[in-house]
Amino acid sequence: MLIELKGINKTYDNGQPLHVLKGIDLSIGAGEFVSIMGASGSGKSTLLNILGILDNYDTGEYYIDGHLIKGLSEKRAAAYRNSMIGFIFQSFNLIGFKTAVENVELPLFYQGVGRRRRRELAMQYLDKLGLAGWASHYPNEMSGGQKQRVAIARALITSPKIILADEPTGALDSSTSEEVMQLLGNLNREEGVTIIVVTHESGVANCTDKIIHIKDGVIGEIEDNSAHRASVFGAGSIMK
Amino acid sequence: MRNLLHEIWESVRRNKLRTCLTGFAVSWGIFMLIVLLGTGNGLMNSFDQNGSSFASNTASVSGGYTSKPYDGLKAGRRIRLNDGDLDITSGELFAGIIDDVVATVGTRVTVSYRDKSFSGYMDGEYPAIMKMEKIELKEGRFINERDIRERRKVVVLPESTATNLLEKGKAASSLVGEYIKAGGLAFRVVGITRADHGRNDNFFYAPFSTVKTVFGKGEELGSISFTFHGLDDLEANEAFEKQYKAAVNLHHRAAPDDNRALWVFNRYTSDLQMKKGRRILDVALWIIGLFTLLGGIVGVSNIMLITVKERTHEIGIRKALGATPGSITMLMIAESVSITAIFGYIGMVLGMVACSLLDKTVGQQATVIIDMEFRMLVNPGVGVSTALEATAVLIIAGTLAGLIPARKAARVRPIEALRAE
Repeated sequence: MLIELKGINKTYDNGQPLHVLKGIDLSIGAGEFVSIMGASGSGKSTLLNILGILDNYDTGEYYIDGHLIKGLSEKRAAAYRNSMIGFIFQSFNLIGFKTAVENVELPLFYQGVGRRRRRELAMQYLDKLGLAGWASHYPNEMSGGQKQRVAIARALITSPKIILADEPTGALDSSTSEEVMQLLGNLNREEGVTIIVVTHESGVANCTDKIIHIKDGVIGEIEDNSAHRASVFGAGSIMK
Repeated sequence: MRNLLHEIWESVRRNKLRTCLTGFAVSWGIFMLIVLLGTGNGLMNSFDQNGSSFASNTASVSGGYTSKPYDGLKAGRRIRLNDGDLDITSGELFAGIIDDVVATVGTRVTVSYRDKSFSGYMDGEYPAIMKMEKIELKEGRFINERDIRERRKVVVLPESTATNLLEKGKAASSLVGEYIKAGGLAFRVVGITRADHGRNDNFFYAPFSTVKTVFGKGEELGSISFTFHGLDDLEANEAFEKQYKAAVNLHHRAAPDDNRALWVFNRYTSDLQMKKGRRILDVALWIIGLFTLLGGIVGVSNIMLITVKERTHEIGIRKALGATPGSITMLMIAESVSITAIFGYIGMVLGMVACSLLDKTVGQQATVIIDMEFRMLVNPGVGVSTALEATAVLIIAGTLAGLIPARKAARVRPIEALRAE
């Protein structure tokens, strides 16, 4: 299994302790296209942050590809994030003062790849996402869908094992959302990238092959959705 | 390295306001510091120049009025120096302290040359006075030993006195070799000295022996000047003056502790006071300078703090993409150092330009106060090394101050940084 979670517990302590994750056990294999669904406050984002080594957990064990991810130094964590994980955020999280191509290059910069090679690769990925013509534009000159595609290119450029998408369609309209989800589906099918999407929209979840329901910090039902017929609203389109 | 520079350039280019604000704080701090120190140096140089017209280890003595009755004589008696005082001064009593002694005798005379004339003051001097009062010769020669021995009728005119005798526009040097009339007798002009703004412009020098015999001054002296050595502080000088006054007072049957019977003007003590004033000014300047620098440092650190805060979200993104804390700190610091260095340099250059402007304007103006010429500023400005040091201190201190928030930001968990707006 690419991802193994054993008894993960996480408590936030902001004045009053809040037990967010209550013993999560979960395995996700390589090449899976999974969504984590739940209402707000269910702990799905916290789970994603732990999966992405953006946040730490209190007890339990988390393995990526056999490496135990626990109590890492910031430096080691940065190296893991850089080489194994690609992020797609709801609010895109592009750096405003950098052009599209510079944003896409950034993960390679932290890998120490040379300037010319970086630019070359970044252009390749932008081209793949149909944004070659927008390479020298700044994020505020682009539409939401374009920005998210830049973010996807940035997530892909290091060829990570896992792509983590936190509400990737949250800031997009329905047709763009569909486009983005199709893009992710194609990536999964054609290149075998493991993709984990966190969402509260059933239409988005329906695009994935497996839906993990999370409620009040525990895993509920794990639904096989290879037929993509899970949602009452989901089949066919994403409702906004 | 090139990657880092490129990163910095991009960030600076896209964040012009932030860059300009930081830059302004730095430039202004350095500019103010350099102008301040430069002006202070100018003031201090002017202190030095205005106070340097006398050899510092000389004193001159002249008679005053007694302030208390003594030995059966009432107070308010005028004391006139005479040859006996000269003997006391150069005698054994003060042999260990006093070196050269010269006497001066003066007389009021009417001076004329061709159709110009005025009432002037003829100073009978010895050649040694030239060194003691740092008289600067402009033309010809000063009184010499032979003049004294042969009681020659020669005079040396300060430039300002000479111009009083000449028609407008004629150079003072044209008087050398000419004869002027003084007190009804003809005197040959042998030299011209630089104008002494400390005195009126109607006096001139003649040989001591000439004035004394020709004008029948007898034993009477105008003043006694002498050089001394071995009195290194204020206390020693005061003790010596007290002892000296007592000796001369007794010679004139005045109370030994009568402070007003004799006037002693000691250049050394007045120099000491000047030096003390200069030291106070020096310390004050340094304190003000340090506080200005501190102000600059606080400004830079403050902006660093804001910058780091403002960039927290960006830091979060970078960390999510694999930036190590070290690379984040490095980026912040490198950016701050580049901005501070460039703008610090600009401020430094502007400050030096301002100093040279001050030199060309205020520095060239002289104010005349009671016949004394004062220049407010003499050579204002700071050395290049001082300016560079100050800039370096600002850069280093600003960076160190920025290091703390930068490191803190670099250590935050990425999820917290990403949440920041």
